[in-house]
Amino acid sequence: MCDLAAIINIIGKETARLILGLIGVLIVVVVNALVLTWVERKVSGHMQKRIGPKEVGPYGLIQPFADGLKLLGKELLTPANVDKPLYYLAPVIVFIPVLVSFIVIPFDGFLQVKDINVGILVILAFSSLSVLSILIAGWGSNNKYSLIGATRSVAQNIAYEIPLLLSLLPVAFMANSLSLRDIVEVQRQGWFVWRWQFFAFLIYFIAATAETNRTPFDLPEAESELVAGFHTEYSGMRFALFFLAEYTNIFIASAIATTFFLGGYLGPVLPGIVWFFIKTYFLVFVIMWFRWTFPRVRFDQLLNFSWKILIPVAFANLILTGGILKL
Amino acid sequence: MHLADVVFIIILLITMAGALITVLSGSIIYALMGLIATMFGIAGMYVYLNAPFIAMMQILIYVGAISILIAFAIMLAGPMFKRPKEWTKPVKFISGAIAAIVSFVLFFTVVMRTEWSGIKAAEANMTTKDIGRALFDRFMLPFELISLLIVVSIIGAIMLALYSRKEK
Repeated sequence: MCDLAAIINIIGKETARLILGLIGVLIVVVVNALVLTWVERKVSGHMQKRIGPKEVGPYGLIQPFADGLKLLGKELLTPANVDKPLYYLAPVIVFIPVLVSFIVIPFDGFLQVKDINVGILVILAFSSLSVLSILIAGWGSNNKYSLIGATRSVAQNIAYEIPLLLSLLPVAFMANSLSLRDIVEVQRQGWFVWRWQFFAFLIYFIAATAETNRTPFDLPEAESELVAGFHTEYSGMRFALFFLAEYTNIFIASAIATTFFLGGYLGPVLPGIVWFFIKTYFLVFVIMWFRWTFPRVRFDQLLNFSWKILIPVAFANLILTGGILKL
Repeated sequence: MHLADVVFIIILLITMAGALITVLSGSIIYALMGLIATMFGIAGMYVYLNAPFIAMMQILIYVGAISILIAFAIMLAGPMFKRPKEWTKPVKFISGAIAAIVSFVLFFTVVMRTEWSGIKAAEANMTTKDIGRALFDRFMLPFELISLLIVVSIIGAIMLALYSRKEK
């Protein structure tokens, strides 16, 4: 057996923590996606008076593994006229923000890969990379549906990034810190949803649903008009990477909402990590609930809603919070 | 060679490669990708200089907002798939070369004439709070001037959009 302690001594504690953390993150990403594909089908099934997957394993629990194996086994088709470097790059880039965001999320008092004092900025800065990958995918695919999907995604992202930022800022004001752990610790006196920031929570959640391209805001991949949107030309494991990233993005959006508004890992009796996952998966469930009960919005409605309602309200909330804090 | 030097060289290579792609590539989308790589390289340089806040702002603003806006503009304006490489024409090549040489000489003399002193340890540990305080205290005037500039450009953009609408 190789000596773990010796290795840690050579590369240093911080590096070892980072490497172990990244391995843990990769495991969480895959397990989370496996669980969520199953949950989503079950939720959608029951909401539409169907059953969902039930043949493979008890309650269809092994269905995600079967799907994963199928995707792994599929041939990686590359259409003839794609822009090759961009086409190959897109599924890789889509994973960068996912991995980076996990580094700063506090799962528990001590379970965090690295507490960076500008933690929330790290997540917000890198989350813009996912729209970049959609853009590259749409462009590189050399397909009209992909390109329209990518254009829509860019417009949507510009519109919803602003309320997203503006809804998180008042919380940072109140906590007087940009570090995610500090923000959780401040909430020992009460969650921010109930302490003045309920509207910020609503705005954040709507904007996050739009940022993760979920129904009712899933215009970049609207099936009825764009086939599959930006990932029309992707098959096999490349498609699976987009899929994994989508589910992980939902998880991250919910985890940030949990951290900022719902007290993160704080809670009685049960250990912190259990509380964290309960709250996060509840929000994930709510996002799925949206998907199977709301119709898709029209594109002008989508943009008008952000520019004319969400942004002014978020600004008003920000100014009010700042003013009251300084009184 | 220290590990820090290796990191520095990697960041430098990313920045330079991005800049070269931006200038030399025929496709406008590739140029944008090169620009984004350069922005990331610069952000990496800020991290290297122990200024994580500015690095994150660099990514948030230049990659997340400006580059995405450029992409949006490209898609609206009707992109050219294969653009001929115009810089091989003699007139353009010569004028470009003159511009490059003049700006290089200018930068070079400025860099060589400046007396570079190492960053003091106290200045290296700027927190977000320090940056905010400096912005609203010592650098208040430039800060306000920048916001004035932005207001002017917003008004200009609105005027342009209004006139083009009326003509239709």
